[in-house]
Amino acid sequence: MSEKSITASRRHMGLKAASRVSNTLIHILLTVISVIWLIPFVFILLQSFRVESTWQVGYVVPKTWGFANYINLFDSDFPRWYMNTFIVAVVTAVLQTVIVLCMSYTLSRFRFKGRKLLMRFMMILGMFPGMLTMIILYRVLSDLGMTQANAVPGLILVYIASSGMGYYVSKGFFDTIPKSLDEAARVDGATRFQVLKKIILPLSKPIVIYTILTAFMAPWGDYVFAQYVSMGTSAGKNVAVGMYGWLNKDQIASRYTMFCAGGVLVALPVTILFMCLQKYYVEGVTGGAVKG
Amino acid sequence: MKQYTDLEYLRLNRLQRLGYRLASGFRAIPKKLASFFAGIGRGIGKAGRAAANEFSDIFTTFINGDFKTKMSYLVMGFGNIARGQVLRGLLFLLFEIVFIGYMVLAGGYWIGMLPSLGFQGREEVMSKGKFGRSVTTYVYHDDSFKILLYGVLTIFFIIAFIYTWRLNIKQNQIAEKILKSGKRLKSGRDDLRSLVDDQFHKTLLALPLTGIVVFTVLPIIFMILVAFTNYSGANDGRVNLFHWMGLDNFNAMLNWSSGATSYAATFGEVLAWTLIWAFFATFTNYFLGMLVAMAINKKGIKFKKGWRTILVLTIAIPQFISLLYVSKMFAKDGLINLTLMDLGIIDMEHLLPFWEDPTWARITVILINIWIGIPYLMLITTGILMNIPADLYESARIDGANAWQQYSKITLPYMLFVTGPYLLTSFTGNMNNFNVIYLLTGGAPTNYKSTAPGTVGYTDLLITWLFKITQGAEAKYYLASVVGILVFVVVAVISLIVYNLLPSIKNEEDFQ
Amino acid sequence: MASVKLTGIKKIYDNKVVAVHDFDLEIKDKEFVVFVGPSGCGKSTTLRMIAGLEEISEGTLEIDGVVVNDLQPKDRDIAMVFQNYALYPHMTVYDNIAFSLRLQKRPEEEIYRKVTNAAEILGITEYLMRKPRALSGGQRQRVAIGRAIVRNAKVFLMDEPLSNLDAKLRNQMRAEIILLRQRIDTTFVYVTHDQTEAMTLGDRIVIMKDGFIQQVGTPQEVFEMPRNIFVAGFIGSPQMNFFEGELRSDANGYNVSVLGKRIALDEQKCELLRRNGVAGLKKVTVGIRPEHLEVDFENGDSSVRGKVRVNEMMGSELHLHVSAQGNDNIVIRTPTVDLSAEHRSSLANGCDISFSFRSKVIQLFDPETEESLLYR
Repeated sequence: MSEKSITASRRHMGLKAASRVSNTLIHILLTVISVIWLIPFVFILLQSFRVESTWQVGYVVPKTWGFANYINLFDSDFPRWYMNTFIVAVVTAVLQTVIVLCMSYTLSRFRFKGRKLLMRFMMILGMFPGMLTMIILYRVLSDLGMTQANAVPGLILVYIASSGMGYYVSKGFFDTIPKSLDEAARVDGATRFQVLKKIILPLSKPIVIYTILTAFMAPWGDYVFAQYVSMGTSAGKNVAVGMYGWLNKDQIASRYTMFCAGGVLVALPVTILFMCLQKYYVEGVTGGAVKG
Repeated sequence: MKQYTDLEYLRLNRLQRLGYRLASGFRAIPKKLASFFAGIGRGIGKAGRAAANEFSDIFTTFINGDFKTKMSYLVMGFGNIARGQVLRGLLFLLFEIVFIGYMVLAGGYWIGMLPSLGFQGREEVMSKGKFGRSVTTYVYHDDSFKILLYGVLTIFFIIAFIYTWRLNIKQNQIAEKILKSGKRLKSGRDDLRSLVDDQFHKTLLALPLTGIVVFTVLPIIFMILVAFTNYSGANDGRVNLFHWMGLDNFNAMLNWSSGATSYAATFGEVLAWTLIWAFFATFTNYFLGMLVAMAINKKGIKFKKGWRTILVLTIAIPQFISLLYVSKMFAKDGLINLTLMDLGIIDMEHLLPFWEDPTWARITVILINIWIGIPYLMLITTGILMNIPADLYESARIDGANAWQQYSKITLPYMLFVTGPYLLTSFTGNMNNFNVIYLLTGGAPTNYKSTAPGTVGYTDLLITWLFKITQGAEAKYYLASVVGILVFVVVAVISLIVYNLLPSIKNEEDFQ
Repeated sequence: MASVKLTGIKKIYDNKVVAVHDFDLEIKDKEFVVFVGPSGCGKSTTLRMIAGLEEISEGTLEIDGVVVNDLQPKDRDIAMVFQNYALYPHMTVYDNIAFSLRLQKRPEEEIYRKVTNAAEILGITEYLMRKPRALSGGQRQRVAIGRAIVRNAKVFLMDEPLSNLDAKLRNQMRAEIILLRQRIDTTFVYVTHDQTEAMTLGDRIVIMKDGFIQQVGTPQEVFEMPRNIFVAGFIGSPQMNFFEGELRSDANGYNVSVLGKRIALDEQKCELLRRNGVAGLKKVTVGIRPEHLEVDFENGDSSVRGKVRVNEMMGSELHLHVSAQGNDNIVIRTPTVDLSAEHRSSLANGCDISFSFRSKVIQLFDPETEESLLYR
């Protein structure tokens, strides 16, 4: 071996070693990050099994394990809240998906008078804080008898009513499907409706699932509006509103571990569903969200 | 400022170039604004001309039209029915009947009351009940809330009617023309069929747009109007009438005359924190998310999918659980303080004031927001990072770029270029990020110096503040509406500036 | 099988841009018409207006004597092949081809027969169960054509169907389209930017530029009798050479001075000029195709002298880029088959060269209007 090739190979070794060091560092970093990200959830899980006390303590691993918190949940209004949220989530997922797809397909595929104007108008509408419209929506809903104990249909109505505004992501996806497919199908004798049914929808599985998934997940986390519509009536609360109350100053001492147990029960189905459909979610986010 | 030619520009140094681009970007704004307003002016002129044309068209159609057309001016759909388009005709006729019925029965009242918002509120009537005891009963008269709401709705309805009436005339005109040229008119069945074909977009848009008009547009108009009244909260309007106040509320909110104790001072403070928060929330997440994505993507890293799944998992868990839990974790009597106390690091006297000290609270919410946001940003940036053509990096390596140079000269410009619009929406989204602030701190710690309504706190954003203004017995909804309008103005101005600056700033980073 | 008649067809976009101006054309039954022109000339727009994918702003379009302006594409009974094939990615080849028949609710038996028949014609029988993703470019092209031919449509539209294929495959598919045409024998409208395709496929060629028809004619007509400089330059490869010249008339007829030479025009050309009323003494643009310039290895009096700038060896022929008489890029095409080694070496880069041409083959244009002085 010549002198030159020895130094070259030594340098090569150096490169390899350097990348090994940096990769090890990155692995450590990622481990730390993962721990930080998972810790709160692990804590919630552990504390939901704690029986010896119901308030916050300075340790995490329960001294006595048990299902008392879960059993207590069923003595509270929690099952009712859970059903409320579940019904809202399922119905919203279906209807909102239909509306969003109608809207985004139309804006992606049709060139009609006022299309640009419509999109700009919706962008401007989006700049108004939606928070303020709640009070009037509450009045309208209460006139329709859809508040307090009957909050479920009211919530559904409000969630889906304006969902057409959230067309960006799926429009971005539809825009990536070549227009010539529509044209070919129309020349082949398809009506616009058949084009949607036979060509576009079968090709849009990822975005349909993404839309369903996000529409299903949103109602589980909505606090503000649900709180408004239920107006303190326990029968009309969703999980977020109901459980928020448990962490109030006067309740937290007796309900803290129940909150954890409830949190586990709420997070479980959503997380499982999410994990199963993760692929589509990632596709939706990376594909549509940025293009907007 | 001097305009440089391309060749002159190339001789400038980096700082000068940046300055020049920024300056020319800002310089373009007045011009763009001017052209924007000129555009509006032209639009108005155009609209005026169009309206004049419409009127003359309506007139000449009447003069030149046959009996059926003339009759349609009074009875909508008459021409359609007489010419065999029964379905269309009946729909027109039905609409006219409904409209007239509504206006006679209710609409007239709402419109008539709109200027005053009602004359008489709740009336107490004392009457002698059984056993001679006096009983108070309440008689309700006008309801300002309903007057405003249904008044606006009635105006919408009138506009829709005028549009439909005009459509009805136009159809007569077209039908006459088609019949004259010897062609067949579309039958009701043709109309129905075209709703799934060439007019399919109307079918698809009907439902979503109705929803948006009723549940977004109408409430927003209502909200804007409320800012000009003294409507204060959820339950009045019926008990106490409210009235038009002109610009008084804006004056109350924006008047500086009482200095540091004025509402305007509070508004300024909250706005400043909102902007700071939006800036940090957007960019910390963006860069750290990108960093994590790049770390996971790096060659030689194992369990790529595993790392990603762990992070993505946290997106699935409803935010109210994680935020509320973490909020309690950082509380004075929360897990962190208790643990540190058990470990003997701090004592009862020196608990860490995560939510009690303004600066601590502000930093903590930003840090927790990073925890919330990184997984999402990691996902987005992963997708884009993988889309950067590999040959860009190969070419850069051959040109002698090291890892940092590759990042700063290729990755970052590319990312900024692709995600520019996303960053803007993310910024404005963070300005209105109600959930994170409200669930974490509820705005705490309270700012006792402020005299403004809504017990404003140091972590309150404009959006949480305006929510608090509408709550409770002291609610001042009209002031919340003013804040809401100002939020809109701020968001719109930022969007306008960024949109105008973006192209000039990324000139050199053109990847397409 | 049908005739197509376009009368005064116009396309005006919302932003007032006019893409197609007053397009008049009558396509006979079973005729193969090619629209050709540079990109943005309006050829695809015109085709899409025939298909119904683009609204017709003005004018009337008739298929088989029926005005179809307001008909949806599905009701016009046309078949179309798209540039990017537009195969439905979620369907197998079989389903792709069967799609239009299924929409017509034909019996499955008939669909099977027609699809397998079409697949056989195109040689894609073995791919029927594959998805488009698993096919090569050429195979996709065949599927797209298959999808069109099962329709038995009145008119067959093709929008640059070969431009996504590589050169070799393109030649092959071109030949197959000629065969296909003989087999299915219907009315074709074909759009391309490639003049070779236009020349080889079309019964008639419509040459377009900036939304205007430049010339309509058989391949031979547009090649030999170009109406204007654009057509002359567009048809033929390498492009026609253009020179400044001066036209004069005397007792014997017309003559033209070009490249420092004065040449008398033959009787046929003189006759055409006379008929068109072209006056003598006039600046003209003279066009000569590269294959009509002949290299003179022995210098004659009539030769033009110049210098070879670039010598391109194409195999069967040489393309010489020559500068002479103030013209920098005169292209000369010389067959290599009879060229001796000595002659060939005398044509190397930088060598002096002399060449000549015959008056019979030259084209004359008005430099102002760019119209031909010979053919109107």
